Amino acid sequence: MPLLELDGVTRRYGALVALDQVAMTVEEGEIRAVIGPNGAGKTTLFNVITGTVRPTAGRIRFAGQPIAGLPSHKVCRLGISRTFQITALFPEMSARENARLAAQARHPRRWQPFGGARIFNEAQMRADAALDQLGLSGIADRPAGLLSHGDQRLLEVAMAMAQQPRVLLLDEPTQGLSVEETEQAVDTLARFLKASRMTVLLVEHDMEVVFRLAHRITVLHRGAVIADGAPDQVKADNRVQDAYLGGFE
Amino acid sequence: MPERMPGRIKGATRLLIWTVVALALGLAPLGLPPFAMTLLTEAVILGLFAMSLDLMFGYTRLVSFGHAAAYGFGAYACGWMLLHTGMPLLFAVFAAGLLTGIMAIGVGWMCTLATGVSFSMLTLAFAQLLYAISFKWTSVTGGSDGLAGIPRTIGPFGFAALASKTGFYYLALGCLVGGFLVCLALVRSPFGAVLRGIRENEAKTTALGYNTRLYKIAVVAVAYGLGGLAGALYAPFAGFANTELLFWLLSGQVLIMVIVGGAGTLIGPVLGAAFFMLMEHQLSALTEAWALYFGLIFIAFVLFAPQGIWGLATTRLRHAAPRP
Amino acid sequence: MSTLALLLTQFVNALSQSALLFFLGVGLTLIFGLMRIVNFAHGALYMLGAFVGYSLSSWSGNYWLALAGAPVLVGLFGAAFEFSILRRLYRRDAHAFLMVTFGLALVVGEAVRLTWGSDALQVAAPPLLSGVIFLLDEPFPVYRLFLAATGIVVAVAIWQFLERSRLGLLIRATSQNADMASALGVDIKLIRSCVFGIGCGLAALGGVLAAPLVTASNGMAATVIIDAFVIVIIGGMGSFLGSLIGALLIGFVQVFGNYYAPDFALAFMYLVMLAVLVVRPGGLLGKEA
Repeated sequence: MPLLELDGVTRRYGALVALDQVAMTVEEGEIRAVIGPNGAGKTTLFNVITGTVRPTAGRIRFAGQPIAGLPSHKVCRLGISRTFQITALFPEMSARENARLAAQARHPRRWQPFGGARIFNEAQMRADAALDQLGLSGIADRPAGLLSHGDQRLLEVAMAMAQQPRVLLLDEPTQGLSVEETEQAVDTLARFLKASRMTVLLVEHDMEVVFRLAHRITVLHRGAVIADGAPDQVKADNRVQDAYLGGFE
Repeated sequence: MPERMPGRIKGATRLLIWTVVALALGLAPLGLPPFAMTLLTEAVILGLFAMSLDLMFGYTRLVSFGHAAAYGFGAYACGWMLLHTGMPLLFAVFAAGLLTGIMAIGVGWMCTLATGVSFSMLTLAFAQLLYAISFKWTSVTGGSDGLAGIPRTIGPFGFAALASKTGFYYLALGCLVGGFLVCLALVRSPFGAVLRGIRENEAKTTALGYNTRLYKIAVVAVAYGLGGLAGALYAPFAGFANTELLFWLLSGQVLIMVIVGGAGTLIGPVLGAAFFMLMEHQLSALTEAWALYFGLIFIAFVLFAPQGIWGLATTRLRHAAPRP
Repeated sequence: MSTLALLLTQFVNALSQSALLFFLGVGLTLIFGLMRIVNFAHGALYMLGAFVGYSLSSWSGNYWLALAGAPVLVGLFGAAFEFSILRRLYRRDAHAFLMVTFGLALVVGEAVRLTWGSDALQVAAPPLLSGVIFLLDEPFPVYRLFLAATGIVVAVAIWQFLERSRLGLLIRATSQNADMASALGVDIKLIRSCVFGIGCGLAALGGVLAAPLVTASNGMAATVIIDAFVIVIIGGMGSFLGSLIGALLIGFVQVFGNYYAPDFALAFMYLVMLAVLVVRPGGLLGKEA
């Protein structure tokens, strides 16, 4: 069943066309990678889906419901969680508290003036489970700002998971990681994704990561979709190779 | 086992300190001469005022340059009620505080249309607006003379004890302690966790799905409400309310109290207020330029000790119970 | 007074008011454009300019000396402040700047009160600029015409300075990309001190020019910092042209507003600021998204 459907999504900034009639369908349980050279519009695509930015035109449907133009906190509550290209955490809070705050956002009774302890406990349970999924239980009590870069990236994923989303948007999860850190992170992610069977939209520059994790790949170039299909298909596609100027192995 | 002991001891030290402070404050009227009691009462009122700003600034990083608006509004509201209606002291004080909080919902709604410096400027503009109104609306505010001769009406329910100097001190102290407990509960609640999120990374807090604007409006309302309560205490305490209570100088001074005392600790700002009163009292005897020196001290703290007095003090006791 | 003459009078008043506001706003926007600092002390420095101008003119009996001297003195003070104190804060978060310039505003405000007292002080305009000239059979204060003319001259001068001069080029380059400029050999520390000093000097210029008109008083700082901020918000933080437009807009709003509905002047300003912040948070020509 298609969970996320985009149709004719366009975003203009004056004369610049950041997204050009983007159409794509993401099935439930699918891991879809979105790739493309710099400036292709990948982050704009994420922003438009999460409601950070309004599309100039086009329709976006999430589980059949139209969501284009909704404010980001509403989109989040509908079940779409994301991580960011540049690490965004609460540096002075511990990893556990970070995840707890994420989980708390989805607690139905969080506006209640009394019974805070109960709300905290319930949120903490979800948070701890998410941390465990991402292999972070060991460093849970350390301030997030002091974690290794790789752990910080994984913490962001854990925070998104603590919100029990239906779709996870990962914006360059291995950004800024060394080769070793990337390998470890990808191992963890692969395990976690397999176990959870999450629907994921993944923006990545690192092709090895993409080929390891993704079921399907969508290629963007100058805001438009130029290829969409299974990894081997996309690899062989001429247009994709041209866009990257020289292709990849 | 050895790891636990230091925590326990430090915890016990804290309890001891609190007990001593409670006894000192509670028994002060027995030992201190009248003029010292007046100073102490004023320090308690200012302490509540500073603590209210800490909720906004220390916990949510909402910089307000116009917190005097809360104080002045509360003072005028209470003063007017005591002068023109037969309302007893206790009711007037709390009613004025509540009114300030309600007004602040509107203020918060408007000011949170912007963020960052623009937010701060809007708070200042609003305070200036009230300041200008207080001069012009002579029939209600008494213009540049303000409201004078504010009585401490006892009213039909008794509470005669409150009208006396000592009684009023306990009323103010009660408000400070009550306000502190309210703030503490708020700050330790899920609501408080979100405030801290807004402080550390507002964009991320929004991305997590929180409507941060609503939270900011709520904290502004509570902060102004408590600030208004402080102002409402001041009017019958001093017996007057005037335009100085709405002036930006006061807004600046209370911000200084929070930062010098230690932002984000609730207790720090109260200490900052006491420190301020001490400076004002001691230095003004020595030199007319005490406010200027206080401003310089402030700059020094921002540069070299941004965690404030309480922050410096508690770094020593870091291993004690977790912070609120 | 005929309607045309009335309109013309108000127009000149508005232009002169805009000129004063422009001096305030352009300094603030220059400082923000380069250093991303909102100089909260700007209003206090404007006030300082007025009072220093008062002292210079009463000591020397010459207003022109005050006009030249006050901006220079205050500008140097500003540069010294940036050099000694603000420089330490570039690595810290934005709030630190706001706090410190706020502290500066308080200190300057108190210093002014202690040095010159709490009363408003009258500064005499020079004989050349006092009096009136007649246009369309109506009297126009020469001083206001002088203000309007000065505003235009200074605006053009700053524009040309930024566009044509070497220092102006360096300032613009550093505003856009400080790291790059530094890599190209520009001494950005020096540029920052210069710009902060120039900004403060411009504020003081506004103050000393305003003094014969409004008298020098303690309350100036708070009102004027809001005005300055409104202008810069409307025009857009960091935009020179924006500060010009903002100053013109607010100048006209203030003068015509004061004429038709004086009691609501301040409320009106507040509403204008709110309206702009709602519709375009970055200002009309702002640098922020």
